[in-house]
Amino acid sequence: MDQSLIRNFCIVAHIDHGKSTLADRILEITGAIRGEAKEQMLDSMDLERERGITIKMTAVRLSYRASDGKEYEFNLIDTPGHVDFTYEVSRSLAACEGALLVVDATQGVEAQTIANASMAMTQGLEIVPVINKIDLPHADVARAKEEIESALAIDASDAILVSAKTGEGVPELLEAIVKLIPPPSLPKRGVFEEGTLPDRDNPLRALIFDSHFDPYRGVVAYVRVVDGHIRKGQVIQMMSTGSTFDVDSIGYFAPEPMPLDELSTGEVGFFTAGMKEIGDAGVGDTVTSAENPATEPLMGYRKAKPMVFCGLYPTNGDQYQELRDAIERLQLNDAALTFEPETSDALGFGFRCGFLGLLHMDIARERLEREFGLELILTSPSVNYVIFKTDGTMEQIANPSRFPPPQQIAHIEEPAVKATIMVPQEYVGTVMNLCKTRRGIFGKMEYPSPTRVILYYTLPLSEILLDFYDKLKSQTRGYASFDYDFSDYIRADLVKVDVMLNGDKVDALSFIVHKDEAYVRGRAIAEQLRKVVPRQQYEVRIQAAIGAKVIAAETIKPFRKDVTAKCYGGDITRKRKLLEKQKEGKRRMKNIGAIEVPQEAFLSVLKVAE
Amino acid sequence: MDPVAVYVHTPFCPSKCGYCDFNSYAMEGEIIKRTVHAMLAEIDRTPHFGRPAKTIFFGGGTPTFLESQDLARLLEAVMRAHPPTPGCEITSEANPGTVDAEKFASMREAGFNRISIGAQSFFDEDLIRLGRVHRSGEIERAVANASNAGFDNINVDLMFALPGQSKKAWCENLQRAIALGTEHLSLYCLTIEENTPFYKEFLKGLLDLPSDFGQVEMYEQACEAAEEAGFNQYEISNFAKPGKECVHNLCYWNCEEYVAYGPGAVERVGNRRWTHVKHPRLYCERVEANEDLACESETLDSKTLRFERIMLGLRLNEGVDIQVAKPDAQGLQQAIERGWITTEGDRMKLTALGKHYCNQAVVLVA
Repeated sequence: MDQSLIRNFCIVAHIDHGKSTLADRILEITGAIRGEAKEQMLDSMDLERERGITIKMTAVRLSYRASDGKEYEFNLIDTPGHVDFTYEVSRSLAACEGALLVVDATQGVEAQTIANASMAMTQGLEIVPVINKIDLPHADVARAKEEIESALAIDASDAILVSAKTGEGVPELLEAIVKLIPPPSLPKRGVFEEGTLPDRDNPLRALIFDSHFDPYRGVVAYVRVVDGHIRKGQVIQMMSTGSTFDVDSIGYFAPEPMPLDELSTGEVGFFTAGMKEIGDAGVGDTVTSAENPATEPLMGYRKAKPMVFCGLYPTNGDQYQELRDAIERLQLNDAALTFEPETSDALGFGFRCGFLGLLHMDIARERLEREFGLELILTSPSVNYVIFKTDGTMEQIANPSRFPPPQQIAHIEEPAVKATIMVPQEYVGTVMNLCKTRRGIFGKMEYPSPTRVILYYTLPLSEILLDFYDKLKSQTRGYASFDYDFSDYIRADLVKVDVMLNGDKVDALSFIVHKDEAYVRGRAIAEQLRKVVPRQQYEVRIQAAIGAKVIAAETIKPFRKDVTAKCYGGDITRKRKLLEKQKEGKRRMKNIGAIEVPQEAFLSVLKVAE
Repeated sequence: MDPVAVYVHTPFCPSKCGYCDFNSYAMEGEIIKRTVHAMLAEIDRTPHFGRPAKTIFFGGGTPTFLESQDLARLLEAVMRAHPPTPGCEITSEANPGTVDAEKFASMREAGFNRISIGAQSFFDEDLIRLGRVHRSGEIERAVANASNAGFDNINVDLMFALPGQSKKAWCENLQRAIALGTEHLSLYCLTIEENTPFYKEFLKGLLDLPSDFGQVEMYEQACEAAEEAGFNQYEISNFAKPGKECVHNLCYWNCEEYVAYGPGAVERVGNRRWTHVKHPRLYCERVEANEDLACESETLDSKTLRFERIMLGLRLNEGVDIQVAKPDAQGLQQAIERGWITTEGDRMKLTALGKHYCNQAVVLVA
C-alpha cells in the first residue's frame, strides 16, 4: 500500500459528546456497515454496550474514495472515554497520525476534552476540531469554537461542523481527514526516534497497541507497523522478552476480520501467532523479525501504572486457582491490571490487584464474575502508601492491614493527583467547598469563557477514590466535569483504623484515613456494617479502633426467629423463590468466626465517605 | 387414575382485611353469579375429568360469602368431575360473620364434611384492627352451629403477634379456642406482606408489633397449650387431635399434585404449576371465550422439586426422608451443629429451636 494513501486517526472526546455515534456514521458512509447494523459498532463487548462506554478500543479499516479520485485506506482507532483509561487512550494515540477532537455544540469543552486533547498534542498528532450535535436546537457553535481556542489553544475557525446523528457534515469531515491528517510516511514529532525514514524494506518494527484473547486463536494482537512489514508465516520476535512466534494469520477488521498476507509500513491491523501465555504479546511491546531484528525498540509508550488496589478473594476458597487463571486471562486484555498473591486471616487466599481507577476495578470484577463464573469478595480500595519508618527504612504498602504499628512509623506519604474541574461559574463555591473537605490544595482558576471556570486542584488520590465524582456531579446538578492525572507523593497525617467483630480484628476491613477524619469515618463504618451484616443467631458487636483505642461501637441484635407463615398450594412458588434468593445471597457470604458477613460489607468504606 | 387433591378458589369477601394479600375482592352483584357460572363451566370441561378426588378444599376469599345454592352447585360439579374416594375430606373455609345455622346445614347436606373457621382472635379490638367483619361472640356461635349441622371435623384459625397483642391476651385466645373443643387448630404468626395496608403502616412505624423475642414466646406458648389440650403438632403452624390432620394440606407439604379451579387458583399436575388469571372479570371473559386461563406457569425441574421437597418437608413434624430429599451434606452438618435440625434414621426434621429458624434451615440444607 502506498503510504501516502493511508490515514491513521482516532476520535477523542468527552464522554457522551457523540464519539461512538460519529464512528458509526463514518463506518456507514464509507460502506463498512449498513444503516441497519447495530448501533455503536465499535463498542463490541456486552459490558461496554450496557454501560454505554468504550473500554477496549478496536481498529477498523475503511476504504474511502476522496474527491481527488484516489482511494484512501482509513484506519479508525477507537479510544476509551473514561478518566480511568487515560493510559489506554495514550496507546491508541501512538498508533495514529491525527485525532478528531469532538466537542458537543450544546456542552462545549469539558474536562476530558482538555485532558485527551493535551495528550494527543503531546504525542504529536494533528488535531482536527469537530463540533458535533449541530442539529440540536440549543447548539452553540460560536461558544464551542471560542472554548476550543481559549482552553486548548487550537485554531477552531475551520472546525468541521457535523451532526453524527443525521450524518450532516460527515462527508466534509472525511475530506478533511484526507487533507489535514498526514500520511504515516514521516516520523511524528517526539514519538518515534529521529533517524531513518520508515520504509517497507527496513527491519520490522510494529507497535502492539491492544490485544485480546480469543479462545480459538489465542492472543490477537493489534499492531501499527512503523517500519518494514509483517507477513503470514514469518517468525517474529517480541523485543521486550525475546520470545519468538510463527505468525499464523494476519488481517484487519472492516469491522469483520478480513485476512491478508501482510501488513506493510504505516498500516494498522492484527495478527495471531499461537500466543497463549500472558506477556507473549505485551501491550506496548515492539514486534520485530526474528531473522532480521531491529536494533532499537519503538519508544513513546507510557507504562500503565495502577493507582488503586484492592484484595480480590474467591467466596469459595476452592476457587483460588480458578481465580488466578481468570485474572491472568483478563490481564491479556487489560495491560493495566496487576496482581500479586496475598492472604487474609478473614478471607483466606486471594490477590492484591492494582487498577487504574474505580471504574476499572468494577469492570474487572464484573468481567471475572460474568465471563469466568467466579464469585468474588472485594476489599475496600486503597492507594499505595509510602511509609518512612523510624529505623530509617522505607516501605510501600497498598494493603492497610499490612501497616506497621504506629510507633514504627516516622511519617507517611500518599499519592496525590492534579485535578482539572470544569464547572459553570455559579458552582465554583460549591466545588471549592467539596475540594476543601477532601483535603484539596487549590492551584489556579481559569476562565475559558465568561460563564465557565476551570479549577485546578491537588487532591489526595485516596479522597477521590471514595465518592468524589458522584458528589461533584450531584452538587453541581451534573454540570461539572472532572479529570485527573497522578502528580506526586505528599506527606499526610494518616492512621490505620481496625474493625473488630465480637472482639476479633477483621484484617480485610482495616482502612487508612486522615487523623482528623478517623472518628467520623470509624463511626460511619460501624454504622454501615450494622446495616449490611444480617442479624445472626447471636449478638454481634462491631467496633472500630485505632490501635487498642476503640473509637466507635455498634451492636447487631440477635435474630430470634423466622416468620412461620402459612404455606399452601398457591404460596409454594413465591416462598421457594424467596428462599432461593436468600440462598444465593448466603453463598456470597463469608464466615468470619461464627459470623456471616456479606460481600458488600467489605466495601463499606466506600459507602460512608461523608 | 390416581386420586388427586382438588382446590376451589372463591375470590369474594365482604371486605378486604388490612393484612390480606390473597387473591380476594370485595365485589357485589352480577359479577358473583357470573363468576360462579364460569367456575362451573371450567370444572365441567376440565381436562382432568374423571380423576377421583382424594380431598376437596374450598378456600378464598370467603367461600361462605357465596349463597348456599352456589356452594352446593360448585361442590356438585366438582364431585361430578372428580368422584370422591371413600372417606374423602371435603373442607370449606368459613367466616363466622357470613354463615348461620341454616347455611352450615345446607353445606353439610351438599357434602362438605370439614369446616375451617377463620376466627383469628377472640378480642373485638383485634378483629377491628385486622379489618375482620365478624365479632368475638360469633366465633362460638359459628362452631356450635357447625357442630349442630353435623360437622365433626372443625378447624379454628388464630393469629398471633398482632399489633399491640400481649402474651396474656394471646394466652387467653388459646384457651378460648381450645375450649371450643374442635378437632384442629391452625396458629399463625401475622405476616406483614407487601402490597397490603398493613405493610404501609409497618413502613411508617405505625404497627406496634411484638418483638422477635415476644413472638418466639408466643409461638412456644401456642405449642405448649395445644399439646396440653391433646393436640399433636404435625406441621409448623398446625395442630390436630389424633387422626384429624388436614389431609388436603398434607398433599401440599408432601409435594403431591393438586387440581385447582377458580380465579387465581394455583394448580400443579405433573411438572407444571400454573396460576389462573386472577381478576374475576378477566377470569369470566377467558372462560366464556374458552381461552387459556393461565397467567403464570412454570415447569418444575428436578432441582426445583428437590428444593421444594426440603422446604415443605421440613415444615412437617415427621420431617423429610434424607434419601429422597438429598440435602446438602455440609449444610445439614451446619444445621445440626446450630441445633436446628436432628436426624433420626433416614429422616431429618426441625428441632424445637429449628422451628424458629425454619427459612434459614431450608436455605442451609437445600
